[in-house]
Amino acid sequence: MNPVEQSMIENEQTLTLFGHDPVWLSIIKVVGVFALLVILVLFTIWLERRVVSWMQQRIGPNRVGPQGLLQSLMDGFKLAFKEEIFPTAADKMVYILAPILSCVPAYMAWAVIPLGPEVSMFGVSTPLQVTDFPVALLYMFAIASMGIYGIVLAGWASGSTYPLLGGLRSSAQMISYEIAMGLSFVGVFLFAGTMSTSGIVNGQIDLWFGLMLIPSFVIYTIAMVGETNRAPFDLPEAESELVGGFHTEYSTMKFALFFLAEYINMLTVSAIATTLFLGGWRAPWPISLWDGANEGWFPIIWFLAKMFIFVFIFIWLRGTLPRYRYDQFMRFGWKVLIPASIAWILILAVIRTLDVEGTWSHTALIAIGCGVIFMLILFFVRSRVGKKERKKFVDEHPIERDYKPFAGGHPVPPLPGQHHVPVTRKSNVIEGTTEEVNEEVRGG
Amino acid sequence: MTPTPISAAPEAAVAMGGPFLFWVCAIIAVAGAVGMLVSRKAVHSALFVVMTMISIAVLYISLNAPFLGMVQVIVYTGAIMMLFVFVMMIVGVDASDSLVETLKGQRWLALGTAFAFAALLIIAISNGFGSIAPTGSIEAANAQYGGNVQGLAHLIFTRYVVAFEVTSALLIVAALGAMMLTFRERFAPKVSQEEMSIERFKRDKHPGNLPGAGTYARHNAVDTPALLPDGSVAHESVPNALIDRGSERAVNRADVDEVRTISEGFDYVDGDSVQLDEEEGQ
Amino acid sequence: MGAEYIPVLLLGALAFAFAVFSVTLATLTGPKRYNRAKRDAYECGIDPTPQPMGGGHFSIKYYLTAMLFIIFDIEIVFLYPWAVSFGLMGVFALVEVILFIVTVFCVYLFVWRRGGLEWD
Repeated sequence: MNPVEQSMIENEQTLTLFGHDPVWLSIIKVVGVFALLVILVLFTIWLERRVVSWMQQRIGPNRVGPQGLLQSLMDGFKLAFKEEIFPTAADKMVYILAPILSCVPAYMAWAVIPLGPEVSMFGVSTPLQVTDFPVALLYMFAIASMGIYGIVLAGWASGSTYPLLGGLRSSAQMISYEIAMGLSFVGVFLFAGTMSTSGIVNGQIDLWFGLMLIPSFVIYTIAMVGETNRAPFDLPEAESELVGGFHTEYSTMKFALFFLAEYINMLTVSAIATTLFLGGWRAPWPISLWDGANEGWFPIIWFLAKMFIFVFIFIWLRGTLPRYRYDQFMRFGWKVLIPASIAWILILAVIRTLDVEGTWSHTALIAIGCGVIFMLILFFVRSRVGKKERKKFVDEHPIERDYKPFAGGHPVPPLPGQHHVPVTRKSNVIEGTTEEVNEEVRGG
Repeated sequence: MTPTPISAAPEAAVAMGGPFLFWVCAIIAVAGAVGMLVSRKAVHSALFVVMTMISIAVLYISLNAPFLGMVQVIVYTGAIMMLFVFVMMIVGVDASDSLVETLKGQRWLALGTAFAFAALLIIAISNGFGSIAPTGSIEAANAQYGGNVQGLAHLIFTRYVVAFEVTSALLIVAALGAMMLTFRERFAPKVSQEEMSIERFKRDKHPGNLPGAGTYARHNAVDTPALLPDGSVAHESVPNALIDRGSERAVNRADVDEVRTISEGFDYVDGDSVQLDEEEGQ
Repeated sequence: MGAEYIPVLLLGALAFAFAVFSVTLATLTGPKRYNRAKRDAYECGIDPTPQPMGGGHFSIKYYLTAMLFIIFDIEIVFLYPWAVSFGLMGVFALVEVILFIVTVFCVYLFVWRRGGLEWD
């Protein structure tokens, strides 16, 4: 039996732990994860405000509760007592459905996050994880793509321009970075031999995948920031361009649900990063020398500590970096992250084959082949044919230079290359009160 | 406290829940399909299709095909329906379908196809009830290579290798089609940010930020010109497109006077100028 | 088999109940002061721009992005089972997958060269 088959059998054994909980225990676990998430979100919002304040030499919220810890809870209560606003142009059914659709997948993602090893809960031995199955990470991927619906539908249902632009923009952004994210998982699967999260944690007893597969780790870390719409990739909420993006028209608890979903997603991607690359709930090296470190309820501490390292990086990025421009952002996702992850997968596959087979002759050849193909491809892409043709086309097809504000009967923005023609202005100062002036302008 | 092992009771519960889950998912799936047909707005139709897809995915998972179930959600609801939603946004939010039939005899053709399809379904299902004996359970197939995913991988990469490679050809066709549909020659070569800033400093007398709209005004609307600290009206603060559309708002004489008075160090009370106290002024 | 998926449904049901509760809560607890301006679309103070009939104001690039997303999504869906059962299949599967990746990459290169990945 070779080591690969050996590890596969081990994975199967890990998975047999799941699906045996009595119903009451499942309910306790589910409610526990739900409550944990609510508390973690309230804590993270507070943490973000305090840390950003600290980075900006301010104090931040410190009034409600010790060190201001209850601030986010009170903000939530406040939102519940605000007036409900349904925009006239909104599609009421979808408008209400959208926050629900963004909140439910956010919670559901945590069903497969491993928080710890087997513990004894009310006399029953059970893993510290709601559930796990052979396609757990595929499930995460599916859930992530469902979360996008909440955003795109919120933008559409508001019946307003800024939310529509913001919703479309953020969903395009999320699907772009989801690819890089999905591709970065492949490396982990190659070495773990399973898609179940508990199996992946068990595969990292000797060495974290984050150290073994540094490029995958880096690609995932970048993609997770893009996927959660956080700074410096927070284009959907670019205040200077889109007001609030997709949630501009939302108020009260419906807004709170979007906020909640955003923060849960941030925690989710951090938790996946921990599970896949930093050994999950297993204690880091100096602590792991202590025998009891990986037993009982302690591992939940190591897990949360590792997860909050990522959360802190999220906050740090927000406090440090300016926002990307949309074209730069898309260019980075499509032209850097995706080819880089594909190239890395090819290299990894070859290395892994050497690992398993132990035959160098074929595989070394394949490796060289891959390298050559990629060099050629990069050279091909870098070359700048086509530019001349384009220039010629532009010279042959001049466009109208003067900007027509109502071209085609609609108010339109200036096209690229069109200029505003200065108009002679009438004196624009009118006698009378503000209200009278407004009446006059509207009437005229 | 020693953990006690759990009996296999939940499996029995799931086996009992099987038909229940089937009926729930089946009803949701059919309701989604009907909803897709009857809803007026295209986005509602898309949402109903999503509902159908997800309940079908749940059915797949309950039938011990978890990989297929997840892929159903990822590819169909996550990617293909998202493309539909994007197209609806691009085509127009309120655009409803035109009810004029452009194809001749479309109705009869559709009716004929529907009947043929129904006949096919009925024959297939009745055959399934009668003659075809099940060749093997999915549990056995899953167990053969150590799991659902491993079994699928084995089939894809050995027996169905041609189909797998042909899929990539299909993907090429899809991308080519999309490129052909969406290709647009640029109006002008793309200007970089660097070139734009050089151009701006060459052309404008005022290379910095323009004054923001609504400053010192009684409105903070973007169509109201700002008042400069000396009280004069800053027309540059209103976006050019709004000026060209004739949407720039007028400014009240009283506001201009007020700003000017304040900027000269006086307190403005009901149209009268009152000099500030020395202490208050500092 | 199958019992491990039930807790997912439980968590989903709990989250759904919570979300529905939150959405309906504010209708009961919040004040109601009608004002037409509140219910207008927010556009920084100017009168809301009418939504153009027939649309056409969005970049077609969104369509292309979604299409490319489908293509890469399908690629990922094929890569996952291969990666998981890599050790069981050996060099033949590796060659197949490399062929597949390179073919899909050609598409990607074509789109890149034609400017399909450029955003303004």
